[in-house]
Amino acid sequence: MALINVAAREIHGKIVYYGPGLSGKTTNLQYIHSRIPSNTKGELLSIETETERTLFFDFLPIDLGKVHGFTIRFHLYTVPGQVLYERTRVAVLNGADGVVFVADASRDRLPDNLQSLRELAQNLTAQGKRFLDYPLVMQYNKMDLPQGLPTPVLDRYINTVKVPRFEASAITGKGVFETLRAISKLVVNKL
Amino acid sequence: MPQFDPEISRMVVVEEDQAQISACLQRLMADSGASYSMVIDRAGQILASESDEVRPEMVHLGALIANTYASTQEMARILKEDGFKTLFQEGMKEKIFTETVRGRWLLVVIFDKQSQVGMVKVLARRSSAVLANILDLVERRSTEVNSPRFRQVGKATIDTIDLLFKDDGCSDDE
Repeated sequence: MALINVAAREIHGKIVYYGPGLSGKTTNLQYIHSRIPSNTKGELLSIETETERTLFFDFLPIDLGKVHGFTIRFHLYTVPGQVLYERTRVAVLNGADGVVFVADASRDRLPDNLQSLRELAQNLTAQGKRFLDYPLVMQYNKMDLPQGLPTPVLDRYINTVKVPRFEASAITGKGVFETLRAISKLVVNKL
Repeated sequence: MPQFDPEISRMVVVEEDQAQISACLQRLMADSGASYSMVIDRAGQILASESDEVRPEMVHLGALIANTYASTQEMARILKEDGFKTLFQEGMKEKIFTETVRGRWLLVVIFDKQSQVGMVKVLARRSSAVLANILDLVERRSTEVNSPRFRQVGKATIDTIDLLFKDDGCSDDE
């Protein structure tokens, strides 16, 4: 739920990066954090396991500056991707204004992507959202790897709802900001 | 577990609301001796805060508390409880007490050893009831607000998004 604080002249939105384990959700936030000016970002907070897998969430507050006298702030979150943490994903998804589904384009991860996407749809529906109207974009990550499935195949299996989708290699930054732009605009359009 | 109303995609807090919320928080701090208090939504966004000093780290604290609270609601669901209404963290220097407001917002109070935990809990519960009435009204009115001003802000924000989120970013390291 976007928060418009007229008194404080602030608008807040929450964007969640969702997807199967090791698909590159945290890498997206790390790249964004490394590339935007320091005056527009807060500290990147990561709550991870001893093996540097996301345990709870990553959190990156971004400040877009003043627009018509309002300070625009986005809070970016990732969820833990491992199957075990399903209920934690529900908790982090609570109150999100938009979701980036980060799919791993590797051939052998297709079932994981589909399972994660089904779970996302169920969780949003359980929160009373209409999945088909919900601000959602997809990112096909790891497209630079040789075992990656071609985009038309990913479109056919993963993007059946035909939302905006972007090819990416989060580790090099390709497609990261394109994805962020798209979801940010969808969220703002819901104001 | 209480959820966000899916029909409300935004919450609009105007000056009058802010003044009422702030007055409630100030009273709570004065009566309990707490050093910081804030109201956050379930997404961890700060609706209002009052403090003895500027504490910029509260943006991160808000996110952590909101997610911790959401996590405890999932624990409650697993244990077939209706929900856990409070959170309490105790440190050597400071303590944090969090009380739900209608299950949709959170009242966070930070205090030190000068304040008694029992007192903070009682006063926070009382403040939560007052805040619930204020926030109910804010929420109801938010569905009716359809200002062209927000649409204008939205349009201008999209231009800002294009500028700030360029493909290679715009790090100040360069």
